[in-house]
Amino acid sequence: MNGILATLQRELRAYFFSPLAYVVLCFLLVVNGIVFALILSFLNDPLQPAGRPLDLFFGGTFFFWIVVVFAAPVLTMRLLAEERRSGSIEVLMTAPITEGQVVAGKYLAALLFYVFLWLPTVSYSVIVARGSEIDWGVVAAGYLGIFLVGALFLAVGIFASAMTSNQIIAAVMAFAILLALFAFSLVEYLVNAPEIKDLLAYVSIPRHMEELAKGIVDTRRLVFFGSTTLFFLFLTTRALEAKKWR
Amino acid sequence: MIEAHELTRRYGPATAVDGISFAVGEREIVGILGPNGAGKTTTLRMITGFLPPNEGRVTVAGYDLLEEPRKARRELGYLPENVALYPEMRVEEYLGYRARLQGMGRGAARTAIGEAMERCLIDDVRRQTIGTLSKGYRQRVGLAQAILHGPRVLVLDEPTVGLDPKQIIAIRELILELGRERALLLSTHILPEVELICDRVLIIDRGRIVGEGSPEDLRSRLQGHALLEVELKGTPPAAVERLAAVDGVAAVRPHPIRPEKLVVEGVPGADPREGIFRAAVDNGWVLLGLEQERASLEDVFIRLTTGETSSGSGGGDGFESWGEPGEDGDEDLDEPLRDAPEPAAAADEEVPS
Repeated sequence: MNGILATLQRELRAYFFSPLAYVVLCFLLVVNGIVFALILSFLNDPLQPAGRPLDLFFGGTFFFWIVVVFAAPVLTMRLLAEERRSGSIEVLMTAPITEGQVVAGKYLAALLFYVFLWLPTVSYSVIVARGSEIDWGVVAAGYLGIFLVGALFLAVGIFASAMTSNQIIAAVMAFAILLALFAFSLVEYLVNAPEIKDLLAYVSIPRHMEELAKGIVDTRRLVFFGSTTLFFLFLTTRALEAKKWR
Repeated sequence: MIEAHELTRRYGPATAVDGISFAVGEREIVGILGPNGAGKTTTLRMITGFLPPNEGRVTVAGYDLLEEPRKARRELGYLPENVALYPEMRVEEYLGYRARLQGMGRGAARTAIGEAMERCLIDDVRRQTIGTLSKGYRQRVGLAQAILHGPRVLVLDEPTVGLDPKQIIAIRELILELGRERALLLSTHILPEVELICDRVLIIDRGRIVGEGSPEDLRSRLQGHALLEVELKGTPPAAVERLAAVDGVAAVRPHPIRPEKLVVEGVPGADPREGIFRAAVDNGWVLLGLEQERASLEDVFIRLTTGETSSGSGGGDGFESWGEPGEDGDEDLDEPLRDAPEPAAAADEEVPS
């Protein structure tokens, strides 16, 4: 536990000291700000169908996915690749700490920073609440969705970072895996067989997000995100262990 | 405190370390000496548990590294070859992080950090970020990190590499001091360092131990037979023959480089100097010089790592390692052996861009 906390604290500090994190933060805020403004002006147009702005904001637009699919690899690419490149992994892994604790500490730091990135967007809900009624339960479900998607994507990112000592390769690899996960959701529309369609619907990340944005918290979605996230974290730990043997 | 048994490590088809066994006792400083690529770093990495061996086992302070890795690692301090620290952290912060990784409480950590900084003379840079420190300071931060948790075993991989002479002396003094309280294993390819610091030396080459003993041991092993340089005025032609007949002389031959000198090899255990003097007097030769060649560790090293036998009775092939005959300054040579890449790199820098 001490090892996890020590690693977590160090990594969080590293995030707040690195310029990259602020670049991601700015990027995310600018894109989200524009998206939110667009959504509001879109819904203000009387010719357009009525809708709730926050439903659209939480994963309802293409921009949301662009942001997370880019941000997750960038936030995680450094975590393990840099330790290996600089050689500091040697000092780290000869301390009384297990691979699992290292992965857990670093992953939690990334997750906390990701949460921090989204905090400013809470103000959007407050802005909407001033002009109209707002269902805070739905907003909470939407943020739960953002959290779960982020948790999975960051797990993919840290896995890629464990595979290489080059940050760029780690980011590109994570990006590729995320796109592949995404591709499943598109295949759904190409398949006709109902069984396969159902299966693809179950693994479709945008569909899960859509449901959560509507305020529907279904256990199946929690299980899906939870299990895939843990699966990637498990792979990360194994990758870290296996590197010793080469 | 460290016991390594039949350690073998392969990288793909290449065997980096091939069945190495040794032990380091309490309060003993043992040096691993070898040319670049001999397997020094791989051996140390197996001792610290960073690399698991393909075969063999290691115990540190009585704990098996594979069975009780956490207990073993708690007793272990390690300074890797390229001290990699986190450049964005302050010295104090970094040591605090290391203390937490070692599972130390807040109070204990504070005292330990203060002590480690004092011993390693980094008190004055405690608030600086590591990225701004010079190589010498970084090395000392690395050392502070290694001794922070009071380990009973310390493993240092090339602790003086890349430092300037003044820093080298400071680090060596620190190592000697640290070695007084614990088992210390270090690797180096700098020979004088071994003679200055180590109680015992392991010479490894191509993944195997090719020599072991105290620096004096190793030297005397080569010295089993005396090697003398004799200079006679005018070098009388009969000298070779007559000197060979002297008691205790095994062989005489012309000096490979200096024609005015002769090289006399003694029978193991004998001292033929007196006999040579008398022979000179009896024959009316003028003896200008009689010098005993003291084998330096460098000779031992070259012999052992070029596949020659190390036994004293191994015959007269020892002269191949005579670099500069007649000059006893070999031991003071403060140059890393076989360090070809460095001058090459320096030459590169001089090319105008």
